[in-house]
Amino acid sequence: MTRVSLTVNGQRVSAEVEGRTLLVQLLREHLRLTGTHVGCDTSQCGCCTVHLNGKGVKSCTVLAASCEGATVTTIEGLAPEGKLHPMQEAFREHHALQCGFCTPGMIMSAVDMVRRKGNELDEHTVREQLEGNICRCTGYHNIVKAIQAGAVAMKRT
Amino acid sequence: MAQPARSSRIGEPVRRKEDLRLITGAGCFSDDVSLPGQAYAVMVRSPHAHARLRSIDAGKALTVPGVIAVLTGHDLLADGLKPIPHRPFSPHPADIPLANTDGTPMFTAPHHALVIDKVRHVGEALAMVIAETIAAAKDGAEAVEVDYELLPAVANTAAAARPDAPRLFENARSNVCLDAEAGDGKATAAAFACAAHVVRFETWIPRVTGVPMEPRAAVGAYDASIGHYTLHAGTSGAWRTKMDLAIMLGVAEDAVRVVTRDVGGHFGTRGMLYAEFALVVWAARRAGRPVKWTCERHEAFATDYQGRDLVVEAELALDKDGRFLAMRGSNISNAGGHTTNFSPLRKGVEIMSTIYRVPAAHFRARGIVSNTAPTRPYRSSGRPEVIYVMERLIDLAARQCGFDRVELRRRNLVTAAEMPYTNPFGMIYDSGDYPGVMEKALTLGDWAGFPARRAEARARGKCRGIGVANYVDTASGVPRERAEMTVHPDGTVDVIIGTVSTGQGHETSFAQLVTEWLGVPFDKVRILTGDTEFVRFGGGTHSGRGMRLASIVIWGASRKIIEKGKRIAALLLECEPGTVEFRDGLFARPGAGRTVSLFDVARGARDLLDLSQDLRGPLAAIADETVSVAQFPYGCQVAEVEIDPELGTLEIVRYTAVDDVGRAVNPAIIHGQVHGGIAQGVGQALLEQCYYDPDTGQLLSGSFMDYAMPRADNFPFFNTEYVEIPSPTHPLGMRPAGEGGTAPALGVMINAIADALSEFGVRHVEMPATPERIWRAIREARGSAGERRR
Amino acid sequence: MYDFSYHKPASLDEAASLISGRDDVKLLAGGMSLIPALKLRLATYSDLVDLGAIDALKGIRREGNTLVIGAMTPHAEVVASAEVERAIPALAELAGGIGDPLVRNRGTMGGSIANADPAADYPASVLGLAATVVTNRREIAADQFFLGLFETALKPGEIITAVRFPIPEAAAYCKFPQPASRFALAGVFVAKTAGGVRVAVTGAGPSVFRFKEAEAALAKKFDPAALDGIEVRPDGLNSDIHASAEYRASCVVVLARRAVMKAREAGAR
Repeated sequence: MTRVSLTVNGQRVSAEVEGRTLLVQLLREHLRLTGTHVGCDTSQCGCCTVHLNGKGVKSCTVLAASCEGATVTTIEGLAPEGKLHPMQEAFREHHALQCGFCTPGMIMSAVDMVRRKGNELDEHTVREQLEGNICRCTGYHNIVKAIQAGAVAMKRT
Repeated sequence: MAQPARSSRIGEPVRRKEDLRLITGAGCFSDDVSLPGQAYAVMVRSPHAHARLRSIDAGKALTVPGVIAVLTGHDLLADGLKPIPHRPFSPHPADIPLANTDGTPMFTAPHHALVIDKVRHVGEALAMVIAETIAAAKDGAEAVEVDYELLPAVANTAAAARPDAPRLFENARSNVCLDAEAGDGKATAAAFACAAHVVRFETWIPRVTGVPMEPRAAVGAYDASIGHYTLHAGTSGAWRTKMDLAIMLGVAEDAVRVVTRDVGGHFGTRGMLYAEFALVVWAARRAGRPVKWTCERHEAFATDYQGRDLVVEAELALDKDGRFLAMRGSNISNAGGHTTNFSPLRKGVEIMSTIYRVPAAHFRARGIVSNTAPTRPYRSSGRPEVIYVMERLIDLAARQCGFDRVELRRRNLVTAAEMPYTNPFGMIYDSGDYPGVMEKALTLGDWAGFPARRAEARARGKCRGIGVANYVDTASGVPRERAEMTVHPDGTVDVIIGTVSTGQGHETSFAQLVTEWLGVPFDKVRILTGDTEFVRFGGGTHSGRGMRLASIVIWGASRKIIEKGKRIAALLLECEPGTVEFRDGLFARPGAGRTVSLFDVARGARDLLDLSQDLRGPLAAIADETVSVAQFPYGCQVAEVEIDPELGTLEIVRYTAVDDVGRAVNPAIIHGQVHGGIAQGVGQALLEQCYYDPDTGQLLSGSFMDYAMPRADNFPFFNTEYVEIPSPTHPLGMRPAGEGGTAPALGVMINAIADALSEFGVRHVEMPATPERIWRAIREARGSAGERRR
Repeated sequence: MYDFSYHKPASLDEAASLISGRDDVKLLAGGMSLIPALKLRLATYSDLVDLGAIDALKGIRREGNTLVIGAMTPHAEVVASAEVERAIPALAELAGGIGDPLVRNRGTMGGSIANADPAADYPASVLGLAATVVTNRREIAADQFFLGLFETALKPGEIITAVRFPIPEAAAYCKFPQPASRFALAGVFVAKTAGGVRVAVTGAGPSVFRFKEAEAALAKKFDPAALDGIEVRPDGLNSDIHASAEYRASCVVVLARRAVMKAREAGAR
């Protein structure tokens, strides 16, 4: 067991983890941040996407022990308590979710996309950059629209 | 959304209530539930598709640190657990019956939650290891020693149907469990005898799987002091799961509670109890503490109920003018390793003629078993398969006989004047403007402008094709539903209902109904589902029955509340009950300008001392109705593809869908359903397949590395519209919208591909139409063209 | 996943000493292939040595006519690097097609080539550009580096520190992604250098390989038409549920032609 200390959603936390403990397990099981989901075992679906030191990663493919000193943001910490991030707002406005299971990962991935690609995202870019996130409900139509709108809204705020 | 909602009433694209928790990570999916002191279960699963189970030795596993118990099929039998109570057909009177032609009963066999004697598909659970942690349970599972006697396996549908195929059940005559006929053989033969043209099509609609993004998970608990079981799991209806669990456990219904909160997708995969659900509650009793099981994605690929898998041989007879005279053929549906469900077989064969006027038809319908995962209805159960067959037959007929494919459809579509129309299998289509909807889709999809787009594409070296496909969907399923509605004096309304939203937004759209009918604020309506502690009956979410039946029972309960409310309001307003009017949440005494609100009346019902017995108490009503007629949503899709002939790769460049939804409650949700449905249908047409090695039954598509899921870059934006022609067989005119996206998508995609490749002489491409299949089709067509030239 | 001891050394020497003489210790780079394999219990190690804290393994720099990329440089940095874009834009484009954006934020060049997945993208660029793999012990020419299916010339205890890419006159990569995994069903990297033309193929065979007939033809004339009539024999190519060897063979030729066209267009700009 190793002790790992990191900042999650602005809070300093530390936990005893095994070498094999994944970041997503640390978040879901140790910290009970269950908004980050596990949808696969091959790092394909993106349901577990969080921001690690400001960049989008699949938390099912990151060892918790490797996050010593890191800063992690999950869907629960994307916006201040009681507020919505513009990307969350856009997903709601555009009906970009149905069952909602892939949604936290989609939103975290979308915010990372804006970091990498800017606020003016054409349809092709969004679709291409969404390669790491799978949704089964929406056919992606409204997700793409929401990300485009959310990216613009992020510029305003 | 493009158009913000103007109100929260019916017809408005109201923002979803459930979204706030789901976009902030505050949802509660099955794996988010953890109970104090819980142990963890891991299944020991068979790596073989077909094997006799000689013995299981748990000795070593029990020495693994952290392992608490190893339970096997024999433990299960010793404890009296019953098999999973599969119902091969859903009990709706509108569907036609299918029975063995020779009069013998359909073959079914018990499906135990753990294998007793014989493994029938890869991944079937043989034993369950309970441990302090998941890791310890996995270590334990690896240490369980299983002795198998390997048997020859058969996975392929057509092969499994043969009399000499390896047999799954020794007490069956063959793997064919059901061999039925539908339609009129004599009339069909007579019609074929005088046909000017006969078009033949043989195909296999391969096995796919629903892949809800949330893998299954279940937590079982047992209260020994009162002998009570609780299951927390994602289901499509908690009540039915509870009843099935009670049967399996052999206990009274009130000894079981099922709790379902957020469910991460369903698509039919959660339509029936899973073995693991019964196992965790049983294990909780054995272990004396809660037991949790979380499915990993590779397990889901091997053990979720899968879908489709239909072999079809079909012939269409036409007269010299292209009028359809008859159709005939054979359908073989593959139920997988157990006799779980033959509903897709029936749902398909009964509308083989789909939306077209076909005077006579006759089909043989067989349901078989094979060494593959069990199947069940999957989105639009049975219909996408047969619609694909019919739409392909029409395009093939047009090509073979020299008709225009749109004209051929126009000539044969059932018209509004012919409604209600009885199809050649006996299904009665209620209503609709089939030709009008097709024309609308052709216009939206700019069918007329296609030649110019094709020419432009050709200049870029691309082969562009366009396809059209119509669909009809029989919405039947469990016919009964129940709503319990209570108006509280604090200004809220609770509706308890037995369907469970698995993404359809019931909390929103059902609340819109209440807002419309009771005139209460949308935010004050709570839709309560998914917990048998208060849900007394529920048919679950499937077969387009969520809104279709909820609207009926919520309407029924609303009317009862208004009627009861008028009588109480009359006392408050000091007038005759017959004169009280109700509008926008207010009861009014006409002419007097006096009103009382629904909530005032609820308070009155609670507080007034001079109320008659039947009015006293909570202002509440129950509507429990059985709807024995089906609804028939229908519509049309037009799709355009561009193919790179060198690689065989394909891009969908336009996609149009028009659906008749009867009456739209929430347009945003309806469009969303159609979008998602299209993606699932297109996924099957182009990408997805549960690929079983035909000889060994090994699953070669057991992860997202090999099962090709549709992703954002596989699609363009969809152009979806709907029409609202009220269904005369639904009291509010509604038609379900959940399956329409998928139903025609297989056919429209393959029609578009075949059109794109027509210049090479390609007749057809089987699904999934992978780049290699397209490339081969071009190559073979070119090759045979070369042969002909020589 | 089986448990293991986790180490995160701060220096290359420390990392080397942790793995020295032990075959049950595995180096962890980005973990994008290793961690999924561990999760599915396809591999087991007593110790994992995370190279993530060794700054010397990171970074992109130009040294004369060579682009040097540190082994622990994530794909996303290669994609976004102005240096790479100037020197070998084809490499940036290739990196931009590896996995998905989230994978690219973690996955590294060193991890990818040490893993030598037959369908990975980076090996095509390493072989196609005749790069040199630099380790803590020696330098290995690309032609000697990839030995077979998941097999490289790396010796036990050896750690890749960087890859040195000679800057070509023109280069391009064309990839046909496998529809499920999005790894290369076939991918072809074409490079025109002062020393000749190289064509490296990934995804199609058990390991990345050079398409020598195409190289010879393109050496005469660096033009897609030079490949007319040239075929790849399907014997020995991969066949699986996604594509047959025969189809892969056909794709390789088409992709090679398109890569040449793309390289010429890039050169003309």
